[in-house]
Amino acid sequence: MATPRPSSRLRLYWLTDPSDRGLAVMLLTPLVLLVGLVVVYPVARLFRTSLYNHALTSGMPPEFVGFENFLLIAEDPVFWRVLGSTAIITAVTVPGALLMGLAMALMANLPFRRKWPVRLSLLIPWALPLAFAGLIFAWFFHSEYGVVNDLLRRFGLQPVIWFNSPFWSMAAVCLTIIWKTSSFMALILLAGLQTIPRSLYEAADVDGAGRWRQFREITLPLLRPAIVVALIFRTITALQTFDIPYTMTQGGPGDATATLAMYIHENTISFLDLGYGSALAVVMFLLSMLMTAAYLRMIRARG
Amino acid sequence: MRNMSLAALAAAGTMALPVMASAETALRIFISSQHQPDIWREVLDRYQEAHPDVTVEIETGGNTSEAQAQYLNTLMSAEDSSLDVMILDVVRPAQYAAAGWTRPVEGVDMATYLPAYAEANTVGGDVVALPAFADAMFLYYRTDLLEKHGVAVPETWQELRAAAQKILAAEGDADLQGLSFQGKAIEGAVCTFLLPLWSLGGQVVEDGEFEMDDTTALASMELWKGFADDGTAKPNISEVATDDTRREFQAGDVVFAVNWSYAWAQAQGEESEVAGKVGVARLPAMEGGEQVSCLGGWEWGVSAFTEHPDEAEALVKYLSSPEVAKHMAVNGALLPAFPELYDDAEVLEAAPWFADAKEVVETARPRPVTPRYAEVSEVIRTTLNAVLAGVTTPEDGVTEIEARLRRVLR
Repeated sequence: MATPRPSSRLRLYWLTDPSDRGLAVMLLTPLVLLVGLVVVYPVARLFRTSLYNHALTSGMPPEFVGFENFLLIAEDPVFWRVLGSTAIITAVTVPGALLMGLAMALMANLPFRRKWPVRLSLLIPWALPLAFAGLIFAWFFHSEYGVVNDLLRRFGLQPVIWFNSPFWSMAAVCLTIIWKTSSFMALILLAGLQTIPRSLYEAADVDGAGRWRQFREITLPLLRPAIVVALIFRTITALQTFDIPYTMTQGGPGDATATLAMYIHENTISFLDLGYGSALAVVMFLLSMLMTAAYLRMIRARG
Repeated sequence: MRNMSLAALAAAGTMALPVMASAETALRIFISSQHQPDIWREVLDRYQEAHPDVTVEIETGGNTSEAQAQYLNTLMSAEDSSLDVMILDVVRPAQYAAAGWTRPVEGVDMATYLPAYAEANTVGGDVVALPAFADAMFLYYRTDLLEKHGVAVPETWQELRAAAQKILAAEGDADLQGLSFQGKAIEGAVCTFLLPLWSLGGQVVEDGEFEMDDTTALASMELWKGFADDGTAKPNISEVATDDTRREFQAGDVVFAVNWSYAWAQAQGEESEVAGKVGVARLPAMEGGEQVSCLGGWEWGVSAFTEHPDEAEALVKYLSSPEVAKHMAVNGALLPAFPELYDDAEVLEAAPWFADAKEVVETARPRPVTPRYAEVSEVIRTTLNAVLAGVTTPEDGVTEIEARLRRVLR
């Protein structure tokens, strides 16, 4: 235990040798500068602006108000509504996309003779810009000209005015997000599936384990790291959902499908209230950090 | 050696000179796509003929007022110099002036314009933009259907309901809508909400303070929701934006429509199913109230970040001249901001109803004047939209507007 591991001995050696320390500083400087410039500085500015009353429409210079913007957020009914919608979208689309993505990955992992058509069809929804997907699906779900209602009618079902009801609008938005994001999940999971050695399945076959048993005992446990990574990515992007509801419903009807990101955009870009918008963005930043921390803890706990 | 460099210098000089002399100022102006950029192109071509040293390029974008505002807001907050001149909804010059995004225009006699536009474009004594065209909301109707069923042009919303129901019942056409208005959460929906409220003498903001009257606000919510519920308007009226109203009326699917003046030229155009069957009248009143309209119109602003301020200002003065206003009235059915053009023979030949339109524009009410208009607008239009979609009741909608506007205008 007393003998230091090679890596820490290396570190000590670096610190004591002046010429190598110089090299280390030289090698690290560009990275530190870059991260400082594109991450630390903007985030620090955001935190600073959130403490100011800074609305471009007021014609007044920014005024320091401490945490007033955050107090206003706490009693803003719209904030709580958009937070609720964001939570619903996260709670529905993260598991939804995980299940769809897993199904797609398992199918794509089957021994096809030609692999590229399968992989390509996995990639297409992922490669499509989010805003396009939102606009296309807005037409699919259009109450008069949409293909979804046309199908419903053909099957003798009652067509739905999707964007006229909070429930159906939210359903349409969630379905679109699941469609759009499943392929990314599938890509990560497919990569995970391919690291599982075939020999394990062969051994299970010999031992007489059925397909379902193999999936539960081999595939799922070995896929867990990939699933966690996929979940982290998907949850963070779900918390920041913007493009699809923005292009599909503009948050309507009323503000039933408006998300936190849309509310930030509205306050900064439409209302030009940079202080309040920044405070909202700080809240979202903290929420994202919190979720990531929770996931990381989960991974560590499971070893 | 010295001779060589001198010769080179001279050569460079002679080459540079002609370039300098023919140096053109390239101006870029922003026009919204729904405002007939092709007709604005005609007047810009004339300007280029008269000013060979200036070229003007049109940039179009966004077919709603909010989409354009978002684009311009992004550009202006980045202090982008790529645009020299931009068209602004009448509700925005005050906001843009407060943000320091427009350059004041010097030496214009604002008294030549209709008073409402002189007022909308003057902030703190500065002329911050110049009128592109005037506008107000009108009632469009199908002259053929009203005649066929012996129905008079309604003067109250209640008469309109009865007339529409009678025509719908007699026609028995499932695709026919009695009334089309703007129920989507767009800028036009703010006017939708304000029309019945104003008609009954109500208001929302007075001197920058929140002053909404609950009974008139509730009457407005109930009127529009009623049209959706009793089948006068289509059930998904909460999805209808301004240009949807225009398109559906033009396709012959609408008996009565609430719309701005631009719909006229297209309703009477070659692609219209209803050309020659279109009437325009003042918007109906609430029972016991007065007939009011909502003041619209668009303004030309010079960007504060332009690299060609003098040329841009000259262009804006031209675009806001009586000559251009007349061309746009005759060819694009855009209402002029100059009172005398409403009596002009050529204008009246193109759009005979302009004769009655002046009074409507003159008496049209401006939307609330406040630098925080963007928020006021958002609260009103999303709440009306929620009521129309049945997300909230008219009563809760009014409470919601009141609670949120008190916050905004605190």
